[in-house]
Amino acid sequence: MDLEELRERWQEQDRKLDELRRAGARAVRGAAAGRAETAARRAGRGIVFELVLSLVPIFWLGSFAADHVRSPRFFFPAAALDVFAIATVVRLARQRAALSALDWAGPVVDIQKRLATVRLGRARLTLWTLAVAPLLWPPLLIVALEGFLGVDAWAAFGAPFIAANFLFGAAVLGAAVWGARRYAGALEGPGFGRRVLAVLGGGSLAASEAALAEIERYAREDGAAAAAG
Amino acid sequence: MTRTIPEDPPAPDESPSERFVALLEAHRGILRRIAAAYCRNPEDRRDLVQEMTAQLWRSFPRYDERQRFSTWMYRVGFNVAISFVRREAVRARHAAPGDPEILVAGAAATDASPGDRDLRLLERFLAGLEAFDRALLLLYLDGQPHAAIAEVLGISETNVGTRLGRLKERLRRELDENA
Repeated sequence: MDLEELRERWQEQDRKLDELRRAGARAVRGAAAGRAETAARRAGRGIVFELVLSLVPIFWLGSFAADHVRSPRFFFPAAALDVFAIATVVRLARQRAALSALDWAGPVVDIQKRLATVRLGRARLTLWTLAVAPLLWPPLLIVALEGFLGVDAWAAFGAPFIAANFLFGAAVLGAAVWGARRYAGALEGPGFGRRVLAVLGGGSLAASEAALAEIERYAREDGAAAAAG
Repeated sequence: MTRTIPEDPPAPDESPSERFVALLEAHRGILRRIAAAYCRNPEDRRDLVQEMTAQLWRSFPRYDERQRFSTWMYRVGFNVAISFVRREAVRARHAAPGDPEILVAGAAATDASPGDRDLRLLERFLAGLEAFDRALLLLYLDGQPHAAIAEVLGISETNVGTRLGRLKERLRRELDENA
């Protein structure tokens, strides 16, 4: 049996399936647009909520830094945290903008290439966030204690304690990257822990890069075929 | 053979949501076929159909009535489906060994007539292809001409022909091996 014959049988089987499903689908017909509209509205609300949630710490840190502009021991930790928060939100917003400008009815290869580029950006951002997070612990401690409890961490714990925390953060980061590279393949399934290990170990980034490379190869082959044709 | 469903222009009193539902209903088979080609798990298939429907509705204001609805729907559907299966969690479930449906399909293939066995083999072959080739072969099986396939995927007609030729050759070899 060749592919032409198989195609006819495939379409015949498909017609039968369509008839069966059409009968069952009448009952839910009217609900389709309603469900789609609800899902679209929910996604829109999620983006706004995420944006509001990201802006709160930026404004709070900005205000804290402004209040402590004459105290470098508080100003610089707050400014470092604020710069990090702003950079994260800007990158997130750029990704959101790229996604919302996407015309899903565009040619599949082109749209998938753009999506893969966004995914690669997201993988880099997540890796960067996870990598920097342990180093941000000391400034967070200083700012949070002063901002929420009025406790001066420099006076309460002393500079050596804060420096030790910073070094501890760096050590945690090194250990996490080493552990992720070593054990990322050992955990199975789609769990959160496995995803974190995959991100820290660079597996997610590598997967995103591979997906983009695959699409680019497909597009390049198209160019080669067109030139040969 | 190309299957097309005539698309009447919208009635003057038809609301966008009525128009959308009517077009969706007329072409509902496209979503079912795409979902079946990209997800083995029935739960994933239902989720995917829902995601495709939601994205179609979001994109509907930009739909140009001069364009064939099926082409537009295929593009949105494949774009959503390929993104859906690229998500790691779904992919892990998607390829889980011992998936009951795969086992049932395998058992059915053993008992079925030679023609049915070939169809099951074709489905397995389709499921084993990478995302773009899967879309290409599905469009071909749906009776779309090379020009329409090229338009949906955004590649040249020459490339469609070349790739289809390669896929046919691979499929023929698999069918021979399983004869």
